[in-house]
Amino acid sequence: MVSSTLSNATRRAMLAVLGILLVASAGAAEAQQAQHQHGGAAAKAARPELGTSAAFAPDGTLYAVTKDGQHVLLHRSPDEGRSWEAPVTVNADPEQIAAEGENRPKLAFDADGAALVSWTRPLAKRFTGEIRFARAADRRHFTAPLTAHRDRQEITHRFESLAVTGAGKVVLAWIDKRDLELAQTANREYRGAAIYAAISDDGGRSFRPEQKLADHSCECCRIAITGDTDGLPLLMWRHVFEPNERDHALVKLGADGRPGAVTRATFDRWRIDACPHHGPSLAVAPDGTRHAVWFNEKDGEGRVFYGRLKDGRVEGQRALGGEQAAHADIASAGPRVGIVWKEFDGERTRLQAELSGDGGASFSAHTLAATGGASDQPRVIRRGERLFAFWRTENEGMQGYWLE
Amino acid sequence: MKPLKVIVATLACCVAATVGATEFQALDRTAAAQVVNPSTHTVPTIVALWSSECVHCKKNLKLFAEMAKADRRFKLVTVAVEPQFAGLAEPLDRLAVPGQRFAYGPESPEALGYALDPKWRGELPRTYFFDGKGGKTALSGVVAEATARSSLGLQSPP
Repeated sequence: MVSSTLSNATRRAMLAVLGILLVASAGAAEAQQAQHQHGGAAAKAARPELGTSAAFAPDGTLYAVTKDGQHVLLHRSPDEGRSWEAPVTVNADPEQIAAEGENRPKLAFDADGAALVSWTRPLAKRFTGEIRFARAADRRHFTAPLTAHRDRQEITHRFESLAVTGAGKVVLAWIDKRDLELAQTANREYRGAAIYAAISDDGGRSFRPEQKLADHSCECCRIAITGDTDGLPLLMWRHVFEPNERDHALVKLGADGRPGAVTRATFDRWRIDACPHHGPSLAVAPDGTRHAVWFNEKDGEGRVFYGRLKDGRVEGQRALGGEQAAHADIASAGPRVGIVWKEFDGERTRLQAELSGDGGASFSAHTLAATGGASDQPRVIRRGERLFAFWRTENEGMQGYWLE
Repeated sequence: MKPLKVIVATLACCVAATVGATEFQALDRTAAAQVVNPSTHTVPTIVALWSSECVHCKKNLKLFAEMAKADRRFKLVTVAVEPQFAGLAEPLDRLAVPGQRFAYGPESPEALGYALDPKWRGELPRTYFFDGKGGKTALSGVVAEATARSSLGLQSPP
């Protein structure tokens, strides 16, 4: 036996090395286990995932949805964001949830005040996911989450957006790779991914089978949904125009939920095979003006732009803020148009805003806040005729600022 | 070498192989500024920024790993622009991507991104090529091998 020829000191040394090996192997096994679960957002515990959405309920109360481990939480603020009550759990059974960067749980309210919440649930295979949805008529007790699409392949269904249209329909739209998968199986080229949507006619209790809105979307930028003046949904997303121009496209859904013609919305012609991770935002004013903000590289410089989309062209396009401006959001309320974005100044990240009181003819600039730590993308949301900036930061938490 | 030393050395190698493949160094602002400073790189070097959410990054990582395997004249450094988590190394390990690995440390992602490159706006993949003589080229998106070679100043075959 080997041990009979070894001294005590030698045995101790070997045992120590074996111990290290066992610990290392256990660590590797743990990592492998986590890898198996990893679907783009699993086991990311090093830093809180800040992806948060906020909305005002019909009674004017501010709510927000966040991720905590494997649960989506609904938070209520009795005082417009100054304080937050203990949150309510949306999904009773734990599951993976995407909540950072362009991904975050979404929140909307139907006309009766029911809370509607959606999120992307990453699956085991990389870049795959399911679009999940839950509803709480009393904003406290949620239905068991449903998967909004009939297609159950373990492929990309991710980056969902949620909206309630003027006609009361609930719209869920997401990035879907079933057409890319088919093309790859048939050895065909396919640019990017596709946009699919599912519509609910009963306030989110059930969804019609999903339908494709467009082929060739970009792969990982958030989708903008807003209501047109007639209440029908308008969607804007980063598209991949031939050969690889990552500009934006627009489509309007009809009363029957079917998509109209897909039109090009921006013309910056950013030719790149890359993931910008930087989706647009869209707001329609009562006079029908379509105000948009988006990120693109134009003339060799990446900037956040504001412009009005009209008849297949952009009016009044201009860069917002400085070179570090990022992740802008836009909303309108009556004659008001509000834009928020974040901008790093070399030391701190500032929450910047522009507000127009004359339908976008003129804007005033404001600095609303700043943080020294990590931060979510800012949002601008509406309550009646007023606009509210919402921003979650790692150091300061969830904060709100009226835009006026 | 005595049998004991052989056993210990073998076990130590196994340990290194087991843990080394998933080891990331946390990137802070100082390390970020250093890794993109041309004077740091005295040999041709690729610094490849990537993330687990980037569907286009794989093509570059695969190309750079293959190039590095065939040509020992340049170094490869990877920077995951997200904090480390269990499983982050998997795309690198699957492609056998060699070289030093960084992942974002606890400072804000904006501060780290700015320290890496104020002109970089978050698009991925983003790659910095150093020719080892003070030259630096920054490119966003999927890169062709010929572009990578010329940016490294390594047009001649290995």
